[in-house]
Amino acid sequence: MGIGKYIVAGVFGAAMLAGGINAALAESKGKIYYLVPTLLDEFQTGSVDAITKFMADVGYETVSLDAQNRTDLQQSQMNDVINLKPKAVVLAAVDFEAMKPGIEKARAAGIPVMIFDRQITSTPSDFTSVAGTVEIGEVAADRIEKLLKDKKGSVSGKVLQILGDPGDPYTLDIQKGFEAKMKAFPDVTIITQPALQWEASKAGDIASDQLLVNPDIDLIFVHAAHLAVPVAAILEARGKKPGEVMLVSSNGAPVGLDLIRKGWEQVEVEQPLFAQAAALAMFADKVVNKEKIEPGVYDVLGLKSTLTIEPWGPNLKIPGAAIDKTNVDNPTFWGNAKPPATPIAPVK
Amino acid sequence: MSAYSPSAEPWLAIGTKRRAVAEFALDNLVWLVFVAAFALFSATIPNFFQLPILLNILEQSTFIGILAVGLTLVVISGEMDLSIESTMALSAMAAALLFGSNGAGLGLSLEPGFLNAVVAIAVSLAIGAVVGGVNAYLVVGWQINSFIVTLASFLWVRGVVVALSGGRSVYGMPDEIRWVAVKSFLGLPMLAWVTAGVFVVFSVILLKTPFGRHLVMVGGNPIAAYRAGIRVRRLMMTVFVLSGMIAGLAGYLLAARTSGATANLGTGMLFEVFAAVVIGGVSLKGGVGRLSGVIAGVLLLSSISTAINVMGMPPHFTQIIRGGLVLAAILLDTMKTSIRRQLA
Repeated sequence: MGIGKYIVAGVFGAAMLAGGINAALAESKGKIYYLVPTLLDEFQTGSVDAITKFMADVGYETVSLDAQNRTDLQQSQMNDVINLKPKAVVLAAVDFEAMKPGIEKARAAGIPVMIFDRQITSTPSDFTSVAGTVEIGEVAADRIEKLLKDKKGSVSGKVLQILGDPGDPYTLDIQKGFEAKMKAFPDVTIITQPALQWEASKAGDIASDQLLVNPDIDLIFVHAAHLAVPVAAILEARGKKPGEVMLVSSNGAPVGLDLIRKGWEQVEVEQPLFAQAAALAMFADKVVNKEKIEPGVYDVLGLKSTLTIEPWGPNLKIPGAAIDKTNVDNPTFWGNAKPPATPIAPVK
Repeated sequence: MSAYSPSAEPWLAIGTKRRAVAEFALDNLVWLVFVAAFALFSATIPNFFQLPILLNILEQSTFIGILAVGLTLVVISGEMDLSIESTMALSAMAAALLFGSNGAGLGLSLEPGFLNAVVAIAVSLAIGAVVGGVNAYLVVGWQINSFIVTLASFLWVRGVVVALSGGRSVYGMPDEIRWVAVKSFLGLPMLAWVTAGVFVVFSVILLKTPFGRHLVMVGGNPIAAYRAGIRVRRLMMTVFVLSGMIAGLAGYLLAARTSGATANLGTGMLFEVFAAVVIGGVSLKGGVGRLSGVIAGVLLLSSISTAINVMGMPPHFTQIIRGGLVLAAILLDTMKTSIRRQLA
């Protein structure tokens, strides 16, 4: 009898759950597929949760497919998804240009394509929500310029730039934005090395070797917060104090903010993950229903974001913030893991 | 006058000496290549030739080196283990998730403090043993090809890393765990001492113990070994479990060095481990190989990585250079086999 009541409770609970799920599905406006490039990166795994939550706020069910950083797999996923006739596809491309045929095929089949984070300009899409990878490099350059000036009295010195995988256009865009801005400061020497496959221990090895042959390195700029972790570990192992060799990172992952709090990192250039994902949800109805999207300035989770109509379609650019110790606890930064409590409302 | 007449003996003696020198050179060709490569890098790359760089090479050899020991045991026995990279990553992530204080870490702290390290090592070894045990059960028990089984393990174990961590990073390992990655002893990094210890222990096991001798016999001819009374199944299961545990140890050390773990930690190391084992003279057919050659292979690859890190080449050419240098090392080893055949 004792165990019987648990069985009954379990069955009842399962029935409630099933009913709840059915009710939710009955209210759903349909399925949206999110093609995520990899789940080995904190930004990407965070994007899955954020997009799923915000799309649910506006009534869509989201299914995510992981491309494991393989272009061929993502192309195959796009082909499969087209056959499933979803309401829309959200794409964060492994290789920006390689997905062009897939995007065109989806749109030709009447399935709108929304681009998330990794801007594709070679073919039209129905909506793009980006912070701008080149802009991330530019923001980093601005803050590095200030850090060097504060430390040395002028914008001069040596910077070690640790890229992600050199085959990834994302890191190459950040490099492009960063180096274009730093060209104005010829007294800054930039040493660039890639951490192959974005693997963290390789970033540590690069830092370890470079600090030996270039002991006068003033600042290390890494293209993702998870690369900053082993770099900070190496600095600590080499007897450096926090801030002795400055560290700047990008993407805004929780570990980056933790490093700022501990003093090892000075600036984290945030990709506004929550805002980028929320923007997709805000415009999802317009995209799915093929309504006109008006250019202008939109408030996306408190960030003034500019929507322009580009050759590749409606493009919403959301400003990324430079996080330092003065604003590191701001709850709007996705690295503080506090998604907005207020449900996202569609743009009318 | 025949070749065996007294006046011919001095010529034979010289020929024997030359043969001995040639054999010695061939047996230690990888070491010669390593020394030559190091000399070349020192001569051509500014600031390369300094003691701290050599110590860096030793320190960074740790993970490939320790993984190569486990893989060497498996390959000598005639099998394959592709899961070592993922096993190392899972062990690192497990230790980091338990003891890391930031990110996804739980921040577990035990008293007295040294227990943090002891438990972390135990967890890492246990995870390695479990993965190795699964591989052993499927390969030995179910007679499934080891390449297939361990390839599947390579995938599902990495999947467990992603699932456990949720793709999140962990940072902030306690000092007791970081100790091995930070401290030096007699001027050498502790990591180098650990690596040397692992190599010495398993070199002795391979050369001096019945287990080691049986391993070579099984790799050479498992049927003959079975008929000779060697318990082949038990030996093979032990080898896979050992390989897993060695990968687990490498994972613990990696978490100590990087003061945490990320979901993609160790990605790409499998290729380097295989290259080190092949360059070190271990035959992929089984039954042939020594750890002394593998050490040289590991040091050579680590030197190449360090040289690329400091030579200042444009980053887009890094992989071409790395692959090219590894290919050159493997071609030299092939040349060695060919020369040895001619000498015979």
